[in-house]
Amino acid sequence: MLIVEAAHANAGASGQNAGSLHFQIERRFLEQGEAKAAEAAAITGLSRMAVDDWRGLEQALGADLHVHMHGGLMVAETADEVAMLERKAARERAAGLSAELVDGAELRRIAPYLSERVIAANHMADEGHADPRAVTPAFVAAARAAGAVLAERTRVTAIARRAGGFAVTLAGAGAGTVQADQLLIAAGVWSAGVGALANVHLPLFPVALQMNVTERVAPFLPHLIQHVGRRLSMKQAHAGNVLIGGGWPSRMAAGDGRFDLSRRPELLAPSLAGNLAVATAVLPHVGGLNLIRSWTGTTAITADQYPLVGAVPCAPGLFVAAGGSAFTLGPTFARLIAAQMAGGGAAAEAKAALAIAAPARFDHLNSFMGG
Amino acid sequence: MIDLAIIGGGPAGQAAAEQAAAAGLSVAVFDEQPRPGGQIARQPPAGFTVPDWLAGRAYAEVRAQLARFEGLGGVAWHGGTAVAGLAAGADGFRLTVVTPDGAERVAARRVLVAAGCYDLPVPLPGWTLPGVMSAGAAQAFVKSQRIVPGGRFVLAGTHPLMLVVAAQIVESGGVVAAVMFDQPLGRCVARALADPLTIVRHAGLFVDAAAARRVLARAGVPVRFGRPLAAVEGSEAVAAARFADGSIMACDRVALCYGFVPQADLPRQAGATVRWQAVAGGWATAHDAWMETDRPGLFVAGETTGVGGAAIALCEGRLAGIGIARSLGRLDDAAAAGLARATRRRHARLSGFARMLAAIADPAEVLARVPPADTILCRCEDVTHAEIDAVLATATAPNAVKLATRCGMGVCQGRMCEGALLRRIAAADGTAPGAAGGFTARFPARLVPIDLLCGLDDVSAEAVAD
Ligand SMILES: Cc1cc2nc3c(=O)[nH]c(=O)nc-3n(C[C@H](O)[C@H](O)[C@H](O)COP(=O)(O)OP(=O)(O)OC[C@H]3O[C@@H](n4cnc5c(N)ncnc54)[C@H](O)[C@@H]3O)c2cc1C
Repeated sequence: MLIVEAAHANAGASGQNAGSLHFQIERRFLEQGEAKAAEAAAITGLSRMAVDDWRGLEQALGADLHVHMHGGLMVAETADEVAMLERKAARERAAGLSAELVDGAELRRIAPYLSERVIAANHMADEGHADPRAVTPAFVAAARAAGAVLAERTRVTAIARRAGGFAVTLAGAGAGTVQADQLLIAAGVWSAGVGALANVHLPLFPVALQMNVTERVAPFLPHLIQHVGRRLSMKQAHAGNVLIGGGWPSRMAAGDGRFDLSRRPELLAPSLAGNLAVATAVLPHVGGLNLIRSWTGTTAITADQYPLVGAVPCAPGLFVAAGGSAFTLGPTFARLIAAQMAGGGAAAEAKAALAIAAPARFDHLNSFMGG
Repeated sequence: MIDLAIIGGGPAGQAAAEQAAAAGLSVAVFDEQPRPGGQIARQPPAGFTVPDWLAGRAYAEVRAQLARFEGLGGVAWHGGTAVAGLAAGADGFRLTVVTPDGAERVAARRVLVAAGCYDLPVPLPGWTLPGVMSAGAAQAFVKSQRIVPGGRFVLAGTHPLMLVVAAQIVESGGVVAAVMFDQPLGRCVARALADPLTIVRHAGLFVDAAAARRVLARAGVPVRFGRPLAAVEGSEAVAAARFADGSIMACDRVALCYGFVPQADLPRQAGATVRWQAVAGGWATAHDAWMETDRPGLFVAGETTGVGGAAIALCEGRLAGIGIARSLGRLDDAAAAGLARATRRRHARLSGFARMLAAIADPAEVLARVPPADTILCRCEDVTHAEIDAVLATATAPNAVKLATRCGMGVCQGRMCEGALLRRIAAADGTAPGAAGGFTARFPARLVPIDLLCGLDDVSAEAVAD
């Protein structure tokens, strides 16, 4: 097993994200009408597995990942939003995830810090957050202990498909050519570019987000906070800083007819003000804290918003794992894709679990690629 | 939209404002200090009068510039205002400016960052104890209201400015236990004598230093050379200074003075190219002959371009002001060149003195010493040298070390630890400090209360439109 990393482990989105462990159906699936929301309930199967994976992850990796699973609240400020929460909770219950609607005195009891504007919330006991700084290094250590080799500052620059495998050309610190029976592309937002080296289309689109963090303060916020009608995710990290995000865009650099992923996305002022305004509307206490840093990061989404995890049918031996909320779902993707690649008894089950994310749904894009 | 936003009301910013206003530009100057002056001519708060304020000879030019600046029409002064953000837009720049009661976005065709420098932080045991401060901070108290913070001072470092600060403390009624130079006197003299012509040219400054020494001698303050500070001791606060020779000196304030590093967070945020400053470190912003960076329309002057002192800052501010007027078409090339000629000559002459002072104050030996492993390197996040070294075994990219250790993630945005970290990295992988860049400079350059930023809504609507 060779892991090839162009920069250093955790250099990409995995080290820049918000660290939310969100298992409720995401707002991005709810803002596109009922049909999408109904269909998206299928993702809850993966979320259910992810809850169990996260519960056991610190023990499995033998590391402190600052996993806090003390519950999450998706809040509503209007009657329409409350109705959305009710429909969402019904779908989740049908899929075996329990989110309960809380309001009134019960809501104040659970979350006395919320503003009066919040009239109800879906509460899911398993939600929370973990430390993106700690998770990837722990996986690296575990992979090494299991015999994998990590080549950092080493970039994949060419992939030749051969009968029964691949010849992969590497540049940088670990320059050379390696032969591999199977190849997994898990290059985050860069995955489509790596796919091109193997002559396949991987329909992943880069999106640039921005995040904000306050100074460290004494613990006051035990929950993950999201909003059903507005973009918001908020939590108090282990160190005491409050992280504020929720999918507010930053702007990618563009050039040469495409987005330039080598350049740092630019902070957008309206996103900054907008994000902080939603945060203080829901949690007024945050308004009195100092912002110490805003940062931008890039992640990948697909055309239908579901992740892209599984075998690439037109290229035997080639697999991909990218797209979607892959901090929350990443450990589950990893476990399932590994089982699928290892073959044997567990492979079929893993493949079935990943059905919603299977690259096969986009295989028509590769029908003109000439193998 | 204004023609020119200047960040920094020190000599560089003032000189630029004067030139730009003379060319008919609309100018706004922003500074965290309530009144113009910058570090060197920090003014007492309005309503206070301080006898003999900045009486020394070295200050004459700076005082004259300040008087002209305060008499300028057409220049809007925004004191007590921090610039937290700088971003390039379609036809200029947008600044995020913050006062205690509000934040605002300001659009400007041209921006000049003349944000000065700050004291070089040197992590040594006890440097985070209450009572340890930079000499610059000690001087700020003295200069502004002549209030001496605390009782018995020890000044330690390599920079001759210590003499001036110590004398100012004494003259304000404070007690200085000793001024302790890290380097031997012989080295200072040798480096000064290497360029005797420069001494003659800048005799005024040496006269000031000599006057400071006389003040200290009269007050019985010992000035010692070759006495490296090893640690500051105390449990809750400073109780003593311990030196490399084992001697211990009781005190309750320690002012450290090892030199200065450029303040370049805003140019870095805007994406301008910066270079690691030799020896003392820090990022000096690169510029052309008109002080323009490689971000068109963004200019720099003074210590943001590298530490050289007030007189050089003044020259650079003048050049930047002329260059900005030229870039906006208010001066043609010939007129600009004519206006700049004398200033360029003076700048070249002053550079010799700046180099000599840097050679005398050279902190290289201090920075090469490795403090005990449990010494804190990042004071915001309490990261020790040992924790950094453990990570350096596997990762040496500055952002990777930051992510792995939290070094640089705190409220100072890495201002206090970045240099020390980059020197550790360089020692670990045999490169020059800063060779692999530094931390990514992020918004905001100064802490901002969240409530103030939510209020940016209206103006940001305009930002979307353009
Ligand atoms: C601001 C932000 C907030 C987010 N918040 C959350 C959240 O709260 N919860 C959640 O679940 N998800 C969140 N996400 C999404 C999540 O971070 C990503 O889905 C996830 O980290 C992706 O992991 P990855 O391993 O696929 O990609 P990455 O972590 O990006 O790793 C890809 C790696 O591939 C390397 N690489 C690229 N090209 C090559 C090449 N040619 N050769 C070798 N190596 C190469 C890169 O250097 C990089 O290290 C957020 C994302 C962002 C940007």
